[in-house]
Amino acid sequence: MADTQLSVRNLQVRFPTTHGVVEALNGVTFDLEKGQMLGIVGESGSGKSVTAKTLMNLLPRTAEVEGEVTFEGEDVRAVAKERRKHFWGVKMTMVFQDPMTSLNPVKRCGEQIAETLRYHLGHDKKRALAEAVDLLDQVGVPEPAKRVRQYPHELSGGLRQRVVIAMALACEPSLLIADEPTTAVDVTVQKHILDLLDRLRRERGMSMILITHDLGVARGRCDDVSVMYAGRIVERAATETLFDDSRHPYTEALLRTIPHIDQPSHTRLEPIPGRPPELIDPPVQCAYAPRCRHTQPDCLESIPAFVGVRGVHEFACHHPVNTQWARTEQADT
Amino acid sequence: MAGTGHAPLRDRPDILLRVEDLTVEFPVGRHEVVHAVSGISFDVAEGETLGIVGESGCGKSTVARSIVRLVPIKSGHVVYHDTDLATINGEALRKVRPDLQMIFQDPISSLNPRRRVRDVIAEGLAIWGDDKGVWSQDRIDELMIAVGIEPTFGERRAHQFSGGQCQRIGIARALALDPKVLICDEPVSALDVSVQAQILNLLEDMKARYGLTLLFISHDLSVVKNVSDRIVVMYLGKVCEIGSATDLYERPRHPYTRALLASIPEPASTVDVSDGDIDGELPSPIDPPTGCRFHTRCQHVTDVCRHTEPVMEPMGADHFVACHHPVEVPVGL
Repeated sequence: MADTQLSVRNLQVRFPTTHGVVEALNGVTFDLEKGQMLGIVGESGSGKSVTAKTLMNLLPRTAEVEGEVTFEGEDVRAVAKERRKHFWGVKMTMVFQDPMTSLNPVKRCGEQIAETLRYHLGHDKKRALAEAVDLLDQVGVPEPAKRVRQYPHELSGGLRQRVVIAMALACEPSLLIADEPTTAVDVTVQKHILDLLDRLRRERGMSMILITHDLGVARGRCDDVSVMYAGRIVERAATETLFDDSRHPYTEALLRTIPHIDQPSHTRLEPIPGRPPELIDPPVQCAYAPRCRHTQPDCLESIPAFVGVRGVHEFACHHPVNTQWARTEQADT
Repeated sequence: MAGTGHAPLRDRPDILLRVEDLTVEFPVGRHEVVHAVSGISFDVAEGETLGIVGESGCGKSTVARSIVRLVPIKSGHVVYHDTDLATINGEALRKVRPDLQMIFQDPISSLNPRRRVRDVIAEGLAIWGDDKGVWSQDRIDELMIAVGIEPTFGERRAHQFSGGQCQRIGIARALALDPKVLICDEPVSALDVSVQAQILNLLEDMKARYGLTLLFISHDLSVVKNVSDRIVVMYLGKVCEIGSATDLYERPRHPYTRALLASIPEPASTVDVSDGDIDGELPSPIDPPTGCRFHTRCQHVTDVCRHTEPVMEPMGADHFVACHHPVEVPVGL
């Protein structure tokens, strides 16, 4: 068993609002090994980004957080006040979805990268700027010496995202959380950005959490994948197992609902009926039950616990699909 | 990258919409123009779905908008039945517009937030109704049922619906005037995958039920393949390749089409596009490259590409490519 770098236990996040308490995360548990790429997939509102923001300590003050987060043996939620400003952004950093809004529009790109180095590592101005040029070169930005003097609006979306990645890498983190890093860019740029993240991870032995709504991206890039639904992880396994042998009906339905490039035109898609549940006062039942094709009476009575092989392939479902039994039944029809 | 030439135009009696040498330019600053669409030609037969695919900035939305004259056309023809939409104005244009309706990318912002959705759907009928503003509420109910919205929800406003439901309302509004052509500009890009399938299926159903001809614009190659009979690939205001969905995805000839297909996270298994890759940045549409517009990023570039613009050439029964060096594809693959 490799070293566990990040361990999240029973994470719960609630946001009090005027309409009631939003239960954004409901007991999220996972482990991340050193050098691993973990994918978190799910639809909007499933809690992917809240998970990332909780890890990065970026939640608003009003959020109520419970649970344990241990990063490199240290309890993240108990980091002493004076160490806080050099904890996040150094060992654990994050790349956000929209590169335009995560860069300061009135500051040159080089200064923004250098700022990180000066603040966290105490470099002087000259050295920080020289390192910024070096970092831009590492993330594949052409003509880095020219780019450091440019403003974000002068760069294309793909280059901006590379600048953001360079900033995240400045302090040589051991964990990088990428929240939908390629959602705002075109498909050809997406490939280049994902290739870059992959290369950097291998070169630096970094761990990564890749948050995405795109199942294809998760399948192509991650070692392990966790599927989230309504603030919970509903299924997790090694990527291949998860996609080829899904056991949770939600995972199965998600895979069927996307058009695939290998299918002929006008193939009828299988949509998931209804829509994700409200997270204010959710009933005590399987959150997916109202949309599930396999709902039984007990699905409406209790929240399913994780079953399956611990640490290998786990799924939170009372009536998992693709069991040996279900397979024979499918073969008969 | 060309797109000049009329080779892809078909001589068939059932051609409903024919776009010929369409050019759209937007002035910027002093004496400069953005060459958004530069002399492209294609046609759509009655009952067909034509997909337009390309990355941001390729001009696909401008094509859609110029067909319904939401942006001024610099030169060229848009022939619908026997009317050239590019030359008519005033009352003549107003009279033909009900036949060509459009649905947009952001379903929520395309509905007036202050009006009840019933009134939003009815607006076209109120203007075009037989008896000056008299139209039957039954017609609205019928449209709402057709798109899967409970008619009693007609009293609500846009913010009370989810994104998927708003897109359904947008479709009902477009269908109210019994259009012949429905132009869909990235209709599912803002939706979650489970809802995306519902809307794509709904569009297919509406097409069959109301005998529509669809123009479907998207950056997602899998989605475009799923809905389209014929597909146009655009790059920087020009057409690179036109063909049936099968031809284009199984025998892509243009280097750009191949690069696009190679960028998908889960590439198609039916075609080997591992040679496809593009480097560099999208050139500025203010000062597009000479010759083939793709030559700055193409792997197969030669001198002729830099000086001479390629013309659309037939590459099979219904397959046209604008390239000096189309990639050879093994027969029978």
